Amino acid sequence: MTDNARAEAVVLRGVSKFFGTFQALKNINLTVREGERIVVCGPSGSGKSTMIRCINRLEAHQEGSIHVLGTELGDDLKNIDAIRREVGMVFQQFNLFPHLTVLENCTLAPRLVLRMSEADAEKEAMRYLERVRIPEQAAKYPGQLSGGQQQRVAIARALCMTPRIMLFDEPTSALDPEMISEVLDVMVELANSGMTMICVTHEMGFARKVADRMVFMAEGEIVESNDPKSFFEQPKSERTKQFLSQILSH
Amino acid sequence: MSALAASTARYRHGMEPFATVLVRRMFATWHDAAISIVCLAFVIWLLPKLIGWAFLDAVWSAPNATPCIGGAGACWAVITARWRLIIFGLYPFDQHWRSGLACLAVVVVVVLSCVPALWRPVRLSLLWLGGFLTFYFLMRGGVFGLSLVGTERWGGMALTLFIFTAVAVLGMPMAIILALGRQSELPAIRWLAGLLIDTVRALPLLTVLFTAAVILPFALPDWLIGDKLYRVIYAFALFFACAQAEIIRGGLQAIHAGQLEAAKALGLGYWHRTWHIVLPQAFRNSLPATINQFVITFKETSIVIIIGFFEVLASGHAAYGTGDWTSAYAEVYVFIALIYFAFVFSLSRYGAHLEKRMRLGHD
Repeated sequence: MTDNARAEAVVLRGVSKFFGTFQALKNINLTVREGERIVVCGPSGSGKSTMIRCINRLEAHQEGSIHVLGTELGDDLKNIDAIRREVGMVFQQFNLFPHLTVLENCTLAPRLVLRMSEADAEKEAMRYLERVRIPEQAAKYPGQLSGGQQQRVAIARALCMTPRIMLFDEPTSALDPEMISEVLDVMVELANSGMTMICVTHEMGFARKVADRMVFMAEGEIVESNDPKSFFEQPKSERTKQFLSQILSH
Repeated sequence: MSALAASTARYRHGMEPFATVLVRRMFATWHDAAISIVCLAFVIWLLPKLIGWAFLDAVWSAPNATPCIGGAGACWAVITARWRLIIFGLYPFDQHWRSGLACLAVVVVVVLSCVPALWRPVRLSLLWLGGFLTFYFLMRGGVFGLSLVGTERWGGMALTLFIFTAVAVLGMPMAIILALGRQSELPAIRWLAGLLIDTVRALPLLTVLFTAAVILPFALPDWLIGDKLYRVIYAFALFFACAQAEIIRGGLQAIHAGQLEAAKALGLGYWHRTWHIVLPQAFRNSLPATINQFVITFKETSIVIIIGFFEVLASGHAAYGTGDWTSAYAEVYVFIALIYFAFVFSLSRYGAHLEKRMRLGHD
């Protein structure tokens, strides 16, 4: 009941998305409340990434409506900019800017978008770099860091904009196995701080630890949505069972 | 195989004498040996002649070419006597210091461009604009008590440098605009930029410059005709921009799509994305080709000779062409070749330095 008292952070109503004739999302309905941690999983090509990329309009949806923090996403560029300021995103491929140092990666958007002074932006950036346990790498270029370090910088870079919602698009899928935990640790800590998070990931250990709700997608649809305990122990649909048995078997 | 590896290792450790390595590399098989012997014989035959001509038998200074005639050596006296004509052209003799300072300003700008602290788009643009304006006002005068010298009297090295920097300073922003235009989401802009680029690139430079210098005045209203030199520079800059735009486009296409997505996700708008994320990376990607384009453009400035400008090659012609020194044309051309070499070589070394430095930013 307390959940319903919290404000709605992201609301998707009847969202459909087409790439040409291929329908990537089919009538998606999802409500995420502030402070909620959602983990989205499903086989590849199920539309998970497309769905969260619609939330900050890296992809445009064609049907239905998406509201983020009360603002509707449409063609209005002002709304898009306003929403992107409040929504941070972490990508599978890190996407750090290779020509800028770690510190510059973190200060660029706060300086340009939030119009922070260089000194303030750097102070903030160092605070977040400490939070992801990487302050000593501030002067290096992304190419000089390991994958795990780069992904932690990418998280810090997103946090520097003080977003209210964080989107994670398979943040550990491109990492060597020994680097996954250093990134997940940072994400767990972020989840514990009360951040609203939507994570596309196959890290089920992480999901059990932090998720308030699991969302399972297949073929562009949300097949099942439930709390982690019920989701893992009594999956309702056959497809969920099949998927879980595949990824939990090894 | 292992013997080869062993000898390579010995060479790396400096244990094998240089002569042994040389013999192994040049005389490995009988036809290697034959080619090596022929080449060596040629060098041994040529080198003394060259040194004799250029140094030992050369005449270094003389009031006219008479002492050179019949001599076996180079007549460097022509350079001593005529270097000011070659470097400054028809610029008023007592004002040569201005032309010299102007050239120096350009060289200083190029040297300062190597300082990493200035590698910010705004600082670099200001530096080049400042250097260019310094050059322009020193050469033209008409301000700060300097006498006015019209562009028709500019010449020699100074004119070559002026055309080159003006083309670069005007052409680079045009190239960026054209390259971005060609990638625009608006079909009309994309189509127009593409049409302009493909048309101009299909024309020879000489035709473009000739049209600007000779034909355009008939087509333009009087108030728009302006100075012939500027018309030529605008046309040259357009030509440069269209070639450079394609080079930048190549750099743009090499940028990973994730870069733009990350920038968008951070809330950066189109201009911020373009200026801070896209262009710096596009420039890095296209740097080798860009340096090459600069080198080509520097050498191509000599084409303006045909439409009656007195750049360094033309003033070279004049330096030996006036009776006294007619026999010393080879020396003049060697001297001019050395000037071109000095600029082009520094340019490409600078490019190599930039590339090495920028590789740091990529993995």
